[in-house]
Amino acid sequence: MTKKQKLDHVLRHGPLPGETLFLPILMHFAARHGGVSYAEFCADHHARVAANLACLERFDLDCVTLMSDPYAETSAFGARIEYLPEAVPRCRDVLVRDASDIDALPMPDVFRSERCLDRLRGAERFQRELRGTVPVIGWVEGPLAEACDLADMTGMFTLLMMDPDASHRLLDHVLEFGKAFAAAQIEAGCDIIGIGDAACSQVDEETYRTFVRDRHVELIEHIHSRGGIVKFHVCGNTTHLLPSFAGLGFDLIDLDWPVGIEDARAALGPDVLVTGNIDPVEVLERPADGVYDACRALVDGHRAERYALAGGCEIGVNTPPDNLLAMLRAARSHAA
Amino acid sequence: MDDLIARISHCIEFGKIDRASPYPPDMKGEDGADELTREALDAGIAPDRLLNEAFVPGMERVGRKFSERRIFVPQMLMSAKAMDAAMRHLKPYFQSGAVRRKGTFVIGTVAGDLHDIGKNLVAMMVEGSGWEVVDLGVDVAPSRFVEAVRAHPECRAVGLSAMLTTTMTGMAAVVEALRAEVPGCRVLVGGAPVNEEFRAMIGADFTSRDPQGAVAYLESIAA
Ligand code: B12
Repeated sequence: MTKKQKLDHVLRHGPLPGETLFLPILMHFAARHGGVSYAEFCADHHARVAANLACLERFDLDCVTLMSDPYAETSAFGARIEYLPEAVPRCRDVLVRDASDIDALPMPDVFRSERCLDRLRGAERFQRELRGTVPVIGWVEGPLAEACDLADMTGMFTLLMMDPDASHRLLDHVLEFGKAFAAAQIEAGCDIIGIGDAACSQVDEETYRTFVRDRHVELIEHIHSRGGIVKFHVCGNTTHLLPSFAGLGFDLIDLDWPVGIEDARAALGPDVLVTGNIDPVEVLERPADGVYDACRALVDGHRAERYALAGGCEIGVNTPPDNLLAMLRAARSHAA
Repeated sequence: MDDLIARISHCIEFGKIDRASPYPPDMKGEDGADELTREALDAGIAPDRLLNEAFVPGMERVGRKFSERRIFVPQMLMSAKAMDAAMRHLKPYFQSGAVRRKGTFVIGTVAGDLHDIGKNLVAMMVEGSGWEVVDLGVDVAPSRFVEAVRAHPECRAVGLSAMLTTTMTGMAAVVEALRAEVPGCRVLVGGAPVNEEFRAMIGADFTSRDPQGAVAYLESIAA
């Protein structure tokens, strides 16, 4: 079976005998491992694809991804992004300072935005290299995350409380662009679209339901209608949102370490593929044996479910490669 | 008078900034922290009573509910704004020395790190507990912490925030610089990846997962 077939098997039929999928999120780590600067990794798909392929080879990953810094969409909306050699790019502009800025926001063309286009080229390149054998994950910012990128998080959270109408207008605007960007990535060759909406972890359930939940449903339905699989990513502690996540319709969900997999399973049911959830700080700091033991416990505990091993979120750049190999061994361990 | 104090405290707890603010919806059209604090001062309520009996308990309740995950960041931000609106009326009394604060607390997010929500919440809780807070913002180099402490001789403690495993290691350099330049100053560290083990390793004085811990620690050194 190819890796793509394995993923399809898990989603359609349930766990694979003797093997757990290994789906860690690698960005800065991948850049370091692939010998490219983080600036190149973020801005140039050649570097991003090459670094992912190097990690695919070395760590036997079950996917490759086009994920990087959060500012592809923000740059399409017109913000200036500054690329630093070994740090996450900086967004230099806050485009939405008050409600009047929302109506002035352009609706960018995915195919005319350098960063968005670069991601599409990356998807095409992955497909040329891998020919459908390995799942390719594309990425969009979720509506609240993108609104926070545009208005900054404090500004956006204040807007949610003070001006619900303007908040809805902004969220609608970014959702429309998110849908177009997701569709274009599927068209370009992505099998899966990740929706990153970490800002949701910081809001209460009522705020989530009032402003975000229906838009998540709409985005997920749109991705499905274009033939994409959805990976839902809200890192941080989302325990309070699990009841609201039920019924959103995603196929995979990333769970961060503060969330109990059992709690998520109880809320979301057996059909969702849960990925997670060792603390990336542990993976970074512990000796390889300790990482192996912790991952082994996760794998053993969830091998009978739709489950894939991953960190709670991105694996840190300074993580020793041996620790990632220890994770891999744990994922493959029950084959032995 | 006690009624006014209770109402101000309530405004801070529930994030009611001023009359014009539509938040929270169930207090629409009512006076907020801004108007009520003015009214209280005009009615002759002593500013230190307002600080200790309205602001501090209001913020304490906010902090507790946040720790217990009964409110989240948006609600905290609204409380912070309400407190700011009230605190503005007290500024002249702080400046004249009529009301004394417990000391000055310098805080910032360390170099390379842009996360500021957690730092802001700590800053607001500490301010709400009666300290003067000097907020250096994000991406703050070690030398700037030292300069800020020097510029504020009454500074008794510095708070460092970091959210990234890559930037939290930079806290060690700040602790070292502060120890060398301003030995008596306490150093608090915090942020999601920071734990007790890390605190001990870099020789900082205190860490906690939430702002309440920082407030309690500062209380203990202010005494
Ligand atoms: C919002 C956010 C962002 C926003 C920041 C907006 C802003 N203005 O702050 C943006 C989009 C800019 C961002 C960027 C990045 N982020 Co970010 N981000 C988050 C997110 C979603 C929430 C952080 C937050 O605000 N939490 C809420 C506050 C209240 O919590 P807190 O900061 O922990 O603070 C509390 C305590 O820690 C404590 N505390 C904090 N400071 C202090 C100080 C003292 C003295 C004390 C006593 C206590 C204390 O009290 C606070 C209140 O309770 C988290 C994930 C998550 N869901 O938690 C990731 C997260 C922090 N980010 C992460 C990463 C990796 C990044 C990026 C590198 C992403 C990327 N690859 O492109 C960049 C880095 C940019 C940079 N150079 O800093 C990782 C960090 C992983 C790690 N441990 O290294 C996280 C954990 C996501 C994850 N799970 O991987 N991010």
